[in-house]
Amino acid sequence: MTTVSPELVLEGLARRYGSTTAVARMDLAVKPGELVALLGPSGCGKTTTLRMVAGFVEPSEGRILLRGRDITTMPPHKRDTGMVFQSYALFPHLTVAENIAFGLQRRGVPKPEAAERVARMVALLQLQGLEKRLPKQLSGGQQQRVAVGRALVINPAVVLLDEPFSNLDALLREGTRIELRRLQTELGLTTLFVTHDQAEAMAISDRIAVMNKGRLEQLGTPREVYDRPATRFVASFIGRANLFVSTDGQHSEDGIALGAPGPGTWLLRPEKIALDAAPAAGPGSVAGTVEVVSFLGTGAQAVLRLPGGRALLVEGPAALADLRPGAPATARWTRPDLTLIPGEN
Amino acid sequence: MISLRSPFGWVLRLMAVLTFIYLLGPLFVIVAASFSDTGYLAFPPQGFSLRWYRQALGDVRYLNGFFVSLRLAGTVAVLSLVIGTAAAVALTRFRFPGRALLEAIFLSPLVLPGLVLAVALTLFYAAHPVAPPGLPRLIISHLLVGVPLVLRVMLPVLKRVDPALEEAAQNLGAPPLQAFFLVTLPALKPGLFAAAALAFIFSFDEVEMALFLGSARDAPLTVVLYGAAQMQMDPTVAAVSAMLILLALILMVAQQAYANR
Repeated sequence: MTTVSPELVLEGLARRYGSTTAVARMDLAVKPGELVALLGPSGCGKTTTLRMVAGFVEPSEGRILLRGRDITTMPPHKRDTGMVFQSYALFPHLTVAENIAFGLQRRGVPKPEAAERVARMVALLQLQGLEKRLPKQLSGGQQQRVAVGRALVINPAVVLLDEPFSNLDALLREGTRIELRRLQTELGLTTLFVTHDQAEAMAISDRIAVMNKGRLEQLGTPREVYDRPATRFVASFIGRANLFVSTDGQHSEDGIALGAPGPGTWLLRPEKIALDAAPAAGPGSVAGTVEVVSFLGTGAQAVLRLPGGRALLVEGPAALADLRPGAPATARWTRPDLTLIPGEN
Repeated sequence: MISLRSPFGWVLRLMAVLTFIYLLGPLFVIVAASFSDTGYLAFPPQGFSLRWYRQALGDVRYLNGFFVSLRLAGTVAVLSLVIGTAAAVALTRFRFPGRALLEAIFLSPLVLPGLVLAVALTLFYAAHPVAPPGLPRLIISHLLVGVPLVLRVMLPVLKRVDPALEEAAQNLGAPPLQAFFLVTLPALKPGLFAAAALAFIFSFDEVEMALFLGSARDAPLTVVLYGAAQMQMDPTVAAVSAMLILLALILMVAQQAYANR
């Protein structure tokens, strides 16, 4: 195994406001060229963490190292970070080219070189012909690209993205995030990316840091956090989850014949469940009534109401949408479909 | 949307016309009277003459008053703008206890009648002569209203400016003060112009404080006019007023042209 020294390190980073803890002793190391997503619901501390790295929020505790240098107490303008704001924060009185050139001017880059770097960034982001426009004369997608260009042109040690896609409409969002991921990989940009959208985080991250109530719940690749969630929170926040608590390993607390290998909290992903009309037979099967079916295009979703009152979420092929609400159906799964959740909360 | 051709629409039109007559009528009377060929103020004017204009422009009291007013209003506008904008930035960007109260206190001189302020300030300066009498004293007194006027204009403008703008500037390498001057200040430009114009016009038009606190030697134009209107009601007063109206018109058009640029 080769050891690459990480580009950005957070060491026991914490931020408290009075008696409330926004971020609790967080440890994170981002490798060069890696894109790490800070994912969680609003108020989980992801934005506070990002703002601590940018220097806009002072940590209560801990250290931030960028390329081995301690930047914990350094003012924002001396840190080598390039941030893309949720509101884009484009300078309204400056043109596209002037917005992108702003950081280069602050760094005293000579005019000809600055012009050349701006032109290269304009070409890279397909903003040609818009150089002389003011931000208000641009579409949302164009504004977003200017904001990205302005942050990237200074070659920052780390790129900070604060919900950069949340102001774009759904159709534009997917194209833009793939485009940004391509740019990030090509330029080898070390990136910290804040989002509340798990699909977005899954789509473009090398690793995801799932945060909840100021705590880092799990850090792993998208596959790891999806297939082996560390906590109940991660299991239900990333993708959809059916969770069962079993004390005897045979049955869940609400009496479903799980067929689990042992006691604990078990995760059963909706796509691992099959539905049929035959009666339930032994462990790994339970009969219920179809409550809701929804056709999703590439597949379908069904909610099965179980006798104990629990709703079981099932995902499968489009044929699932042919089920009629009110019809009886049996859900089936096998032992390997169950995943043990090690953490409790 | 109400159709202007409906009966109610005609009532609306009539109301609009009456309002305009009510607002602009006095100005029309003054301008018309200034061209009168009589030795007293007359409306409708009798005959046509420009001699009152000649007399006004030749009268050193009016000319002197005009330049005093210009100096006074210019100084008040600039100082109000600097102090008021700085206060507005502090009130919008920083959270501290008593912020709302401070904002209310800052704006309170706007609701005081000018005469009350003038009397209060006269008593105050009599007991504490903190500023030399004459123009300096008048400038400081006008700031009491000029600063709140600027504040009133700049507070909503500043609240609309995204605080992330300055953060973005800092993130790109600008120290905090530079970030303010490079990014926030330009974003405030239209507001700054309007605020300065408001403070200037207030100071230029103000009578009560000028009357109570000004010195006879450095009397602003309003005081000269006030005196003239009491002593001899000849059309010179109307001619000076007409020229002031023209000046205000030019300033207004210039401000609109700047805003619509």
